[in-house]
Amino acid sequence: MKKNKNIDELFKERFKNFEATPSPDVWNKIQVKLKEKDDRKLIPLWFKLGGIAALLALVFTIGNSMLNTPLNKTNAPIVNENPIEINSEKVNNIIVDNHDVNQDETVSIEDNNELKSTDEVLVKKSSNSINKSHEVIAFETKVASNNKKSNISENSVQQDLIKNSEVIIKEKEGISNSNLLDKTNEQLINKGSKINKNVEAVAVNENVKDNSENPSITENKGVVKEENKKSIFDALNENPEEEVVIAKLDNTPDNRWEITPNVAPVYYNTLSEGSSVDPSFSDNPKNGDLNIAYGVKVSYNLNKRLSVRSGVSNVNLSYSTTGLDLGTGPIAASTISIEYAKKNNVTIVVDKGTLVNQNPDNPFGTIAPKSTNGETYLNQKISYYEMPVELNYAIINKKFGINVIGGFSTLLLGNNEVSVEAGDFSEVLGEASNLSSISFTTNVGIGFNYSFSKKLMFNIEPMFKYQLNPYTDSSVNFKPYYIGVYSGLSFKF
Amino acid sequence: MTLEELILNCKKQDLKGQEELYKKFSGMLFSVCLKYSPNYHEAEDNLQDAFITIFNRIEQFKGKGSFEGWMKRVTVNTVLQKYRKQRVFNLSNEEQLEEEAVTEIEDNTVPLDFLLKIVQELPDRYRLVFTMYVLDDYAHKEISDIVGISVGTSKSNLARARGILKTKIEDYYKINKLK
Repeated sequence: MKKNKNIDELFKERFKNFEATPSPDVWNKIQVKLKEKDDRKLIPLWFKLGGIAALLALVFTIGNSMLNTPLNKTNAPIVNENPIEINSEKVNNIIVDNHDVNQDETVSIEDNNELKSTDEVLVKKSSNSINKSHEVIAFETKVASNNKKSNISENSVQQDLIKNSEVIIKEKEGISNSNLLDKTNEQLINKGSKINKNVEAVAVNENVKDNSENPSITENKGVVKEENKKSIFDALNENPEEEVVIAKLDNTPDNRWEITPNVAPVYYNTLSEGSSVDPSFSDNPKNGDLNIAYGVKVSYNLNKRLSVRSGVSNVNLSYSTTGLDLGTGPIAASTISIEYAKKNNVTIVVDKGTLVNQNPDNPFGTIAPKSTNGETYLNQKISYYEMPVELNYAIINKKFGINVIGGFSTLLLGNNEVSVEAGDFSEVLGEASNLSSISFTTNVGIGFNYSFSKKLMFNIEPMFKYQLNPYTDSSVNFKPYYIGVYSGLSFKF
Repeated sequence: MTLEELILNCKKQDLKGQEELYKKFSGMLFSVCLKYSPNYHEAEDNLQDAFITIFNRIEQFKGKGSFEGWMKRVTVNTVLQKYRKQRVFNLSNEEQLEEEAVTEIEDNTVPLDFLLKIVQELPDRYRLVFTMYVLDDYAHKEISDIVGISVGTSKSNLARARGILKTKIEDYYKINKLK
């Protein structure tokens, strides 16, 4: 019968009662996704525990290497060992489960539900372990699943092929499982490729399943069982892909850059008894003073947890020594490390009691005691320009966050001033002559933050900074440190 | 179980209810996906996404109007979201209406599989416009709103889709007559 017909009518008519059955696989995937909602809640916990474990590993490793072999060891491989071990255990678990499930294949179709519950456990386990495993694995599995897709689309419908591939699958599974069981101690990458093998096997499974759906094939028991098994593998296969997406989403920070103007009260003191001004003041009482540091920091977020930051800030430190007497005399009579502003007769600071017993034949001249009322303070004020390079690791990165911060700073010497103060009398003597123009600090601290919005965050960071080479004269037994509580607002962009 | 009970169970996120709903409507919705997707595999992916959306938003169905219609709308929207952003490459003279090509064709027994295949093979937007207009009875105005194109473009896309389909059907005849 030939009849001319409008294209629209032709299509309308033919598609009127069009209905098609999707593969059972689709429902399995939906189920997995519906369950994933619950699983997602677990991920942050894993990240948290993982983060703490990594941090502890880092601390122990650094501590260990510093105490035992200062220069020979690199830290990185040691840090990596823990995750690898966890991973291999998990992989083993999966494989053991795989075997269980494979044995279950003999179970009749009525046991479908039981098998499914095994699936659930399996899927959870696999998602956790794969989630933990290295990105290499995740990436490879993704590639594998891509292969799967192309395999399916090019697939042709032949019953013979099904039988053949069934055999192949079983062989493949056998090989990959035994491989995995035998060589658990191998490197991460090897494991990755093995998991990949497993997934490839799954991909082949998919082919078979796709074929089996074709209406021209009568479903026999074997095919149905095959599908049961497939659903397990599919779930396995599906998860890595999704976990990768989640992991990637989790790892990519919303905003890469962060700028933080900050201000801090800083307290300056020394860890040792010595004096920076004069060795004879070593046993004198000293007081660290509270001062102010202010500046701006710029952070670059490497991922959601780790950021590297730098910036510039002005740090004002001050410090006073007591237990002193004041006198006046020729500049040569002064022993302390001060570059006097005046060149002739200057105010000289000495340890209490030394003026009484001074040698009248001192070739540098004598110091005439200066009558003062009240305690004499020798004040040293130093201002540095600080340029830190620090790593910031977020243990908790929710609305309220906790960070661990470590790094070092370069200090450029700005102004410095030595002055005396005794009752009504005060005078600026000059500058300390023994300060390094460039020095360094090692920094550690804890950061707390609170996010007002995605763009704005309040930080407060108690930091401990230990100065490495503050003095040009290495004999000075003065080990200064400063503690600052830096607070500021971070703007993310 | 009535449909109302089933919907209620799904609103409680009951997995058995969800499975039941899937079994009942997956065939109908899969046909929608097949018509709007470029191939079988993507159609399955889209069906999966559509059901996830349906289960997540089933709360929003207040019982007004047909539930099937609602699900179909959700499905079409899910698929459209994916393909409407992908532009057709030859955009030159898009607004220009092609002359109504002679679209009279011989209605032999062209297999449905073949018809589906050539619809799927259309460039994304031609396929969306053709399926919406011809198979799902959307008006050009609605298509222009939903797909985000002008009415003129919608009409022109439809004409081009018809032209492509016609050529392919004619080719099919030629090959099969030669045999």
